[in-house]
Amino acid sequence: MDKRKEIFPHGIPGHNLGEIEREIPNDEPPAWPINDKLKVVGKRIRRNDALAKVTGSAKYTSDIQLPGMLYAKMLRANVPHAKILSIDTSKAERHPGVRAVHVFTSDDEGSKYQDVKYAGQPLAGVAADSLDIAKEAVALIEVEYETMPFVIDTEEAMKEGAPLVYEEPIGEQTDGGDVGVTHDGSEGKGNLRGPTTSSFLGGARGDLDQGFSEADVILDRTYRTQVHTHVPLETHGVVIDWKPDQMTVYASTQSTKGVRDGLASYFDLPKNKVRVICEFMGGGFGAKHSAGTFGPMAAELSRKSGRPVWLMLDRKEEHIAEGNRPNSIHHLKIGAKKDGTLTAIQQKSHGTAGVALGAGVGRIAQGLYTCPNFSTEQYDVLTHAGPGAAWRAPGNVQGAYGLEQAIDEIADMLKTDPLVLREKIDPSEVRKVLRQRGAKSFGWKYRPPGSDTGRIKKGIGVAQSTWPRFVNLDSTVEVKMYSDGTVEVRSGVQDIGTGTKTILAQVVAEELGLKAEDITVRIGDTIFPDAPGSGGSIVTGAITPPARNAAYLVKQKLFNQVAPQLETEPSMLTVSDGMIMHKEDASKKISMRDALRRMRTGQIEASASRSDDYGGFQQPWGLAYGDLGSVQFAEVSVDTETGFVKVERITAAHSCGRPLNISQIESQVNGGVIQGVSYALYESRVMDNKTGHMMNANVDQYRMPYAKEIPDIDIVLVEEYSARSSTDAYGIGEPANIATAAAVANAVYNAIGVRLYEIPMTPASILKALNKVEQ
Amino acid sequence: MIPEQFGYSAPSSLGEALSLLQEHGEDAKVLAGGHSLIPMMKLRFAAPTHLVDINNVPGMSYINEEDGKLKIGALAREVDLEDSELIRSKFPIFIDASKLIADPQVRNFGTVGGNIAHGDAANDHPAVMLALNAEVEITGPEGKRTVPIDEFFYGFYMTAVQQGEILTEISIPLPEGKFGCAYHKLERKVGDYATAGVAVALTVDESGTCTSAGIGLTNVNPVPLRASRSEEALVGSKLTDEDIARAAQFAAEDCSPSDDLRGDEDYKRHVVKVLTKRMIKKAIDRI
Repeated sequence: MDKRKEIFPHGIPGHNLGEIEREIPNDEPPAWPINDKLKVVGKRIRRNDALAKVTGSAKYTSDIQLPGMLYAKMLRANVPHAKILSIDTSKAERHPGVRAVHVFTSDDEGSKYQDVKYAGQPLAGVAADSLDIAKEAVALIEVEYETMPFVIDTEEAMKEGAPLVYEEPIGEQTDGGDVGVTHDGSEGKGNLRGPTTSSFLGGARGDLDQGFSEADVILDRTYRTQVHTHVPLETHGVVIDWKPDQMTVYASTQSTKGVRDGLASYFDLPKNKVRVICEFMGGGFGAKHSAGTFGPMAAELSRKSGRPVWLMLDRKEEHIAEGNRPNSIHHLKIGAKKDGTLTAIQQKSHGTAGVALGAGVGRIAQGLYTCPNFSTEQYDVLTHAGPGAAWRAPGNVQGAYGLEQAIDEIADMLKTDPLVLREKIDPSEVRKVLRQRGAKSFGWKYRPPGSDTGRIKKGIGVAQSTWPRFVNLDSTVEVKMYSDGTVEVRSGVQDIGTGTKTILAQVVAEELGLKAEDITVRIGDTIFPDAPGSGGSIVTGAITPPARNAAYLVKQKLFNQVAPQLETEPSMLTVSDGMIMHKEDASKKISMRDALRRMRTGQIEASASRSDDYGGFQQPWGLAYGDLGSVQFAEVSVDTETGFVKVERITAAHSCGRPLNISQIESQVNGGVIQGVSYALYESRVMDNKTGHMMNANVDQYRMPYAKEIPDIDIVLVEEYSARSSTDAYGIGEPANIATAAAVANAVYNAIGVRLYEIPMTPASILKALNKVEQ
Repeated sequence: MIPEQFGYSAPSSLGEALSLLQEHGEDAKVLAGGHSLIPMMKLRFAAPTHLVDINNVPGMSYINEEDGKLKIGALAREVDLEDSELIRSKFPIFIDASKLIADPQVRNFGTVGGNIAHGDAANDHPAVMLALNAEVEITGPEGKRTVPIDEFFYGFYMTAVQQGEILTEISIPLPEGKFGCAYHKLERKVGDYATAGVAVALTVDESGTCTSAGIGLTNVNPVPLRASRSEEALVGSKLTDEDIARAAQFAAEDCSPSDDLRGDEDYKRHVVKVLTKRMIKKAIDRI
């Protein structure tokens, strides 16, 4: 393809903003200036679906009603490990109102049914005239189990002789995003799989022994995190209408494409015979990329009954079976010189994603700081518990919780301000600015740990994170303009709730000289061009450049038609405030609306797909490593009598390239911080090791933060231009969540002078750390 | 979340209510606010075959002063406590407790009588009533009888209210002399049952010597617990920090909390100690 050179803004305004020349494809538009020169992009634009959502006219998957629709419920195993001898559905089939029953069977030789590997595994399903009838019928299914020994506790599962979850090698986890593991699960011993010893940043480097011998101080610690389940407002679920010519699937999903491909593959259907629709999405944190088991179940029930089938999971099912953030036992040995220079990092971790894989602790220790000598071994431990799944920055949150406390501990050993130490060892230019501006806004003034007096002690802490610039090249957008003035953007991409719909309108409006509300955005439907799943914080960086580029191309088509009318060349035209005008002669102009009315066809359209990053990728499949990270500061107060921790305030300093919509970015950071506070203090899956059941599979005992427990959140957003695409924008969903728990943990330590090494930090664990309650 | 089938009557007099209870026998339950009973029925922990709704029985929602006693009718609601000038001025401990019970919707309907008659050591009023030395009036087919609060709680969900009887009134002696009282519970989250709760009521004489002490504990014992050793440690003392610490230590030692998702036993004992200390001091501040 022909290319041309363009000058782009590059760097951080107020710090090192300059320009850079990039070679770009000829069919892509020239560089935008920085945000303060733009009209729609980078502003606080109201979500284009806000009214529909707050008035209730937005229809989510569970709201879908189709003629003749049935309601389905699944039967789940009530034991954690068993062979199934029989499943008798005869009573359920005879129950009045039941229209279809389906039992999952096994292709394995020797057994009719799949073995049960965790309590809650789906076995069968019923579709009936009402949900109540379906529930009654499910209760009538009789299952005969031959129970087997099981293991729930991670460390027990690691021991020799522990009951095995799988006798055979297992495949890589497929459910979504950038899971914290790269091994394929085929290697390992007993319930261990792995280790992962490298990532796209490379493998082991340098010489650890040499590194530790050069160190003046060596820290050797183990940090532990809990299993964190997914609690989106809307649970997983589908409504499936399988007609002979097409299977139509309404899904609460982070990937319309993923659900389509999954169901097409499961049922051996051509991809164009499966249509997946997700117009509104009630949230997801990484576990909603596939059709799961409920998708095939609803499809089977729809096929058998010939009717549409509604199958939404309840909250208990969501907790036990639809993904979780694996726990971690994260061991770090770090050497440093007196001046703070890191000489060696040795990392070893174990974690359980239950019956699935993906319990690594990410790349934080590998990539956040300069350290010449490094090695990592990350193991998955299989247990008889519900499967893990991608969960907002997979592995990295666990990884940062360990590493960022370790760095704090080293600062302590060196008797230095942890912020000053990070300044010394962190090579990132962006984080330098984040630290400066964040510290100023927070009012960071280091005080020694435990120096506050009185019953309620206050403390401050800081932690950092980094996140790659992932891009997915399978990102296509179509822009259409109609003769009545309508402009429509179409893509298969879903809006997980972050505001994808709104930023698409913004970039197209900016390119066409219109307002964001002039643009109709139709997404979340696989009849439109393919686009990536909402994982890895990929979507903004992947989909907004082709959206702008398609708008640019359709604008060129319109210019070609308008130019003769204005007696000029297309290249001499530009747009602004709804007008097409000559760049030099203000008298030559026409409104966009009139220009469209005079078109020769009723509509014109263009589509564009994501091109390679300007300047190239670091990894050919679409990755430019960079600093989409954060520096977060926390202030906490700890009641040393009751052990209650209150996170008083968080300053979250972030960068995400060119910010597209300030309000939406702030929403993401608010959510990430709140979830981080919740992870640090409250949420935890509690399993009964004796029965293998989850004991708090609801939203009462599964503790989450309440309004008065939410800290004041101060957001410092740093614009950073890297000239990698036509929008130069990136997502922030995951980076927003990574550093919070570590910052809170460091602040608690700073308050009470004792470190806990494990989250959630409950009142009881705080008191134990203070030796006020017996260990 | 759907209860078993049950019958329902809404009598308009106490006599009628009593005969309905008589008629339906042991599987009948009295429905007042319903904020303990109905959730238990929905969870199918309870499956009474008949509910006798006493909300239409007139003259049972009073809160007044009579014969040197504070009298609370069985149908007085939590919100009535919050609105009562008598309660606000003389027994702020009820405001402390009521504000921590569930949420405003529940408090608008839940009754003080029901909170006690449920016989649950996790409820808040039992500890308050222990601290205040309440007496409970129970009406049955044979007429009225009065039971001291210390003899009211028999066991888990079991009280002195027998089959065919209705709790009709709670009476509390009005304090003589200088009096202070306070209640607090530590909650895992707003509206939850107590991790632990402590109610304290004290009187002191002119010299500052403690002349009587009542201390009740919430949710740290199978039945609502009076912290007797703690009370004894305070009576006759000058309520010094040392006296208070000793009383708090006794409370922590004498309760028997169980491990659950709110915390383990050691943690709960610690909470009892902290709260006992804080509530004694708060009660003193209110004298």
